[in-house]
Amino acid sequence: MSTAERVVFEHVTKRYAGTGAGNPGAVEDLSLEVPAGKICVLVGPSGCGKTTSLKMINRLIEPTSGRILIGDTDVARRDVIELRRSIGYVIQQVGLFPHQTVGENVATVPRLLGWEPARQRARATELLELVGLDPGRYATRYPSALSGGERQRVGVARALAADPPVLLMDEPFGAVDPIVRERLQNELLKLQERLAKTILFVTHDIDEAIKMGDLVAVMRTGGHLAQYAAPSEILADPASEFVARFVGADRGLKRLALIRVADLDLRAATIAHAGDDVAAVRARAAADPFPYVLMVDAANRPVGWLDERRIPASGTVTADHSASESPLFDRHTTLKDALSMLLEAGVQAGIVVDGGGAVEGLVTVEMIMERIRPR
Amino acid sequence: MIDWAWIGDHLDDLASRTLQHLYLTTLSVAIGFAIAFGLAVWSIRRRAVYRPVLGITGLLYTVPSLALFPLLVPITGLTDLTAITPLVLYSLLIFVRNFVAGFDSVPSDVLEAADGSGYSGRGRFWAIEVPLAVPLIVAGLRLATVSTIALVNISGLLGDRFGGLGFFIFEGIRHSFPTEIFMGGLGSIALAVAVDAVLLAIEGRLTRWTRTGPADARPIADARVAT
Repeated sequence: MSTAERVVFEHVTKRYAGTGAGNPGAVEDLSLEVPAGKICVLVGPSGCGKTTSLKMINRLIEPTSGRILIGDTDVARRDVIELRRSIGYVIQQVGLFPHQTVGENVATVPRLLGWEPARQRARATELLELVGLDPGRYATRYPSALSGGERQRVGVARALAADPPVLLMDEPFGAVDPIVRERLQNELLKLQERLAKTILFVTHDIDEAIKMGDLVAVMRTGGHLAQYAAPSEILADPASEFVARFVGADRGLKRLALIRVADLDLRAATIAHAGDDVAAVRARAAADPFPYVLMVDAANRPVGWLDERRIPASGTVTADHSASESPLFDRHTTLKDALSMLLEAGVQAGIVVDGGGAVEGLVTVEMIMERIRPR
Repeated sequence: MIDWAWIGDHLDDLASRTLQHLYLTTLSVAIGFAIAFGLAVWSIRRRAVYRPVLGITGLLYTVPSLALFPLLVPITGLTDLTAITPLVLYSLLIFVRNFVAGFDSVPSDVLEAADGSGYSGRGRFWAIEVPLAVPLIVAGLRLATVSTIALVNISGLLGDRFGGLGFFIFEGIRHSFPTEIFMGGLGSIALAVAVDAVLLAIEGRLTRWTRTGPADARPIADARVAT
């Protein structure tokens, strides 16, 4: 497998004939470095030059000045055909070749590179599996027989066929419905954990940028780079009024999507087992500022919250004394999802469980609100 | 009204005239196809060229065939070239229009994906643009072929050596012999229908991708990736 390469923009400017800076699609003095193996999302309003910037990497557009490096090599010094065959390219409308089968589409670059037919087929099979399409069912179909989400998967498989170190994606999920988009985004992130390509990803959707990017480059009209930083930094500390407005007034909420339950110091739950003495349980609850007691079973799995009204004056507590459940989270739940589940359930605290379902601690609405407040 | 005995006596003539008809048609269509292909490629590369190309081929199309065949005789003599030249000229408009429409029908995202995948200009043209233009190219071929088969009859104006099945039409008129006129006319029609059917079958083979194939090739629900 090829190793990823860094992509560097050095003072790259693109102006269109007869006009100065600032017209749609122009790029003005763009300098940034995408480290090898990272996803960089170029985001901004339409006409901000994000797609132009992307297309200058595989030289579908040539810059007016400045240079772009892949690894340490200036792309302008490479043969343009050879350059493009070494870069994966995915576009919004996918651009599958309608007269070729899915298998032939995926094998495009290997075919252009002159691989043996058997090796082309083997590679196509491998890639269809990689993007979650059964090669037996899909390889011999024509693109017209596919759904939008399937086409986009084939487009990604085609881009990865020759194992390129760099992948360019121009609004790849812009034309599919939100549910399929969400799924494709998650699949790409999972794929990236294995492939570790250098990916440049263009979108106009700030939520997608925050979700997908290791780094986010916010661009504004005129082709200026407004901020280039990790998503959490862009949300926490926008570099300018423009970035703050582009990111949106709800950026506190958006940050919650970047924080996971595992990032919090969990509140310890006050625990009771069936058979515990009522008085002892009451004493434990009274000693905790969060005065609720969680019933758990022998394996420490949550049974329910003890209901004050059902507890007898003396004796022992039993499962019958517990009532309302809370949402269950695991360590990977984002705070955004956690908050919405808590609001939906109308409760103060959710229970964090481990892989076996045992209680690890509690997350309260208050703990989440603490994270929203601007620092 | 039909003189069946005459038909029985002239089966050899009918066969050889049918072959001549096919020969003149094939040659004209092939030459017209090649010239028009060049003009169409020139037109899509340099858009400014397309209007004049359409203007000139359109103007040629308006020249009455009855006049064009005799007018060429002083230039090219009584040769096959004289019979073929008008047929070629009349086919150009049909071909050029269909070829250009065919190339224009190739979606821009497909071309962008081809460029981004590293096709050379020539590679992209033959591997992507031509195959995708095939439905309209073949539509033009069918139209031009049928119209050429009809026009070959007129080349009978040049004399008995020409005309294909049209020879019988001219001779039938001269001798006021309806059987010959019918045989020439019906033969020409039958030939056009038969050739068109062959071209249709070829088109079907070349454009399988435009149709939804067997049951298992219909769209299916989005495949899920195992988590």
